[in-house]
Amino acid sequence: MNNDLPAIEVKNLTVSYGPVPALLDVSLAIEPGQLVGIIGPNGSGKSTLIKSLLGFVKPDFGEVLLFGEDAEKAKGRVAYVPQRGSVDWDFPVTVREVALMGRYGKRPWWRDLSNEDREIADYALEQVRMADYRNRQIGQLSGGQQQRVFMARAIAQGGDVLLLDEPFAGVDAATEKAILDVLESTRETGRTLVVVHHDLATASEYFDSLVLLKQRLFAYGAPEQVLHPELLSEVYEGTLRIFANLHNRSTGGQD
Amino acid sequence: MYEWLVEVHTASPHLFKALITGLLVTTVCSVIGCFIVLKRTSFLADALAHSMLAGVVVGYLFMKLAFGKEAHAPAMLIGSIVSGIITVAMIGFVSRFSRVKEDAVIGIMYTGIFAFGGVLVSLFSQYVHIDLLHFIVGQLIGVSDQDLWMMAIVSVVVLSFIVLMFRSLQLLTFDRVMAASLGMNVILLDYMLTTCTAMVVVTGVQVVGVIQVVGLLIAPAATAYLLCDRLKHMLWVSAMFGWTGFLAGYFLSEAYNVAPGAMIVVTLTAQFLLVFLVAPRYGLLADFQRRLKAIPQQVVEDILGVILRAQGEQCEIRDLVEHTEYKLEPIRKAVYSMVKKEWLCFEGDVISFTAEGRKHARRLLRAHRLWETYLQHLGVAEEELHERAHVLEHLHDEQAVDYLDDKLGHPLTDPHGAAIPEDFEHLVSGEVMTLAILREGHTGEVVSVGHLIVDPVSVGDRVSVGARENDSEIWVVTVEKPDGQFAKHRFNHEEADDISIRLD
Repeated sequence: MNNDLPAIEVKNLTVSYGPVPALLDVSLAIEPGQLVGIIGPNGSGKSTLIKSLLGFVKPDFGEVLLFGEDAEKAKGRVAYVPQRGSVDWDFPVTVREVALMGRYGKRPWWRDLSNEDREIADYALEQVRMADYRNRQIGQLSGGQQQRVFMARAIAQGGDVLLLDEPFAGVDAATEKAILDVLESTRETGRTLVVVHHDLATASEYFDSLVLLKQRLFAYGAPEQVLHPELLSEVYEGTLRIFANLHNRSTGGQD
Repeated sequence: MYEWLVEVHTASPHLFKALITGLLVTTVCSVIGCFIVLKRTSFLADALAHSMLAGVVVGYLFMKLAFGKEAHAPAMLIGSIVSGIITVAMIGFVSRFSRVKEDAVIGIMYTGIFAFGGVLVSLFSQYVHIDLLHFIVGQLIGVSDQDLWMMAIVSVVVLSFIVLMFRSLQLLTFDRVMAASLGMNVILLDYMLTTCTAMVVVTGVQVVGVIQVVGLLIAPAATAYLLCDRLKHMLWVSAMFGWTGFLAGYFLSEAYNVAPGAMIVVTLTAQFLLVFLVAPRYGLLADFQRRLKAIPQQVVEDILGVILRAQGEQCEIRDLVEHTEYKLEPIRKAVYSMVKKEWLCFEGDVISFTAEGRKHARRLLRAHRLWETYLQHLGVAEEELHERAHVLEHLHDEQAVDYLDDKLGHPLTDPHGAAIPEDFEHLVSGEVMTLAILREGHTGEVVSVGHLIVDPVSVGDRVSVGARENDSEIWVVTVEKPDGQFAKHRFNHEEADDISIRLD
């Protein structure tokens, strides 16, 4: 279905909160089944781009299309995985209840969730290998498991496009690996993943393609093209030696 | 229950009415209180309670002056709700458009509006007959029928709202962003919840007064929060604590002839403290017990170390007591927990490793020997090396150990000449590693070469690592080119770091 349409198409998007635009004339198209990283310095508009894809902020100009449809109409097809720090891990809610939240949008508030909804949520938990933990309160999980629960919620939501805000921020190496595994296995199910990422050193390893953003779109493409030292020093305003190093790593030194 | 109530009613209509009022009000307060606790808006609830004075007075005045009606309850209720919403809206507006933070804005607005109500009361004292003392400490005895009916209506409205909108309210409280992304009107929901809170506060003020109403809202909910892992359960348990707190407080106040409002809030607080002490998972005692039960990491690691160094990697409990600084009991406890975790196994009295346990032990040994080498490198005296490394080996975080390994030039032996275990966790088939980490015997294919090495090695070559030379500072590799040519090459540490190899 819709195989020839890009999963996400952003056309000349300009968004502002004041006189300075947060995003200026950003255009890009992301094919389905891609794992895409958004990189850029702090305040470069990464979160704004995610919010635009969610239909959260109203653009000053331009449009966001999801599978060729207006973002407003395709609302249910985009699932959002929140930043770890923004979740109240002490909230009285179990793993299964979080997964079930993915179904809330499918039922109006006066109707109960159906058995089908429960099955879908349970299946989503199985897909991220969290079915055994379904009755745990979410604070009693490890970092990787917590991330998987929210991935399950996004899957239960039926999202074809998953937006993740800094999933790797503040996690240890083992958790980072666990999260990456979840991302990759989710992508293998044909979903499109857009991930805000802050660590340039791992960006080339983790993603199929990268979006380099700082108000404008500086580059979008394969990691080795985007992680170009000249480009990075322009965006990050510094001639850090590490950029040269990164480039070597992403090209395998054949450059 | 019903018969008992009838009996109470015939015996003492006043008591009956007070009980019904109290149970209704505590139920609805405890339930809405859960959302206040979870949204961390207790201070806002306090503000709502205070601001209602202005609303009550305006409602009173309006009905009195316009229709000549005295103390018209519905008008006062509507007045309180409206003043509550105005307060919340103003707090929202001011904290959004000024640099003053929300808590300060709440402080300004609610005292301001409360004081405004006070000014109105004194200004129109000849028209308005509001007993400020009752407003402040509550008036459970002598609730009018009209008030009771209103409480009943408020309770039904609020409880139905919560039951019907449960999913929306749960998601709103837990994850606003997702609620909004599903197309829920979060601002409207917020205001509906605030309106409900305002209505509930108005009923609560009747019972315990404006100052203590926050206790009625928060205490049962917070008590339930310590016991529940699901919001639905929390709502029920909170209502239950509301009832028990109310009944205990009310009968105590009758028995000792003290103000019921105050007594109820005291019992609610006592309940909370009791549960905080004994709650099975989130209580103080449970936490204390967990800490007692926890087996210190240090004991576990020392035991692993002793077994690894023992003859044939096995020993008995008494050997552990002999070779560590711990007594029998903690050692026995630690060993049993490690057996349970499948790190160790017992055969008769003899303890030995499982594969998992050996892995942990080797990681520790690697950390220990690298720390020793590091300390020697820094010039620490020979006889102190072991002791100090023994303390430091508990810092065996992978990245820290890898850093030491690299900084020391990937040494093969420690200062005592014992072999340092290699980085066995990463050295598995298919992993890409730099040459520097590889020891003699590893083979693989070159996947990248930095610019330090121009000539001898290129991507796609097969390499096999030989014994290091020159005090293990020179890496020796045999390179096989795709065309079948063999050659031996030597690299220093920096060069070896620049060659990445995928292991066979």
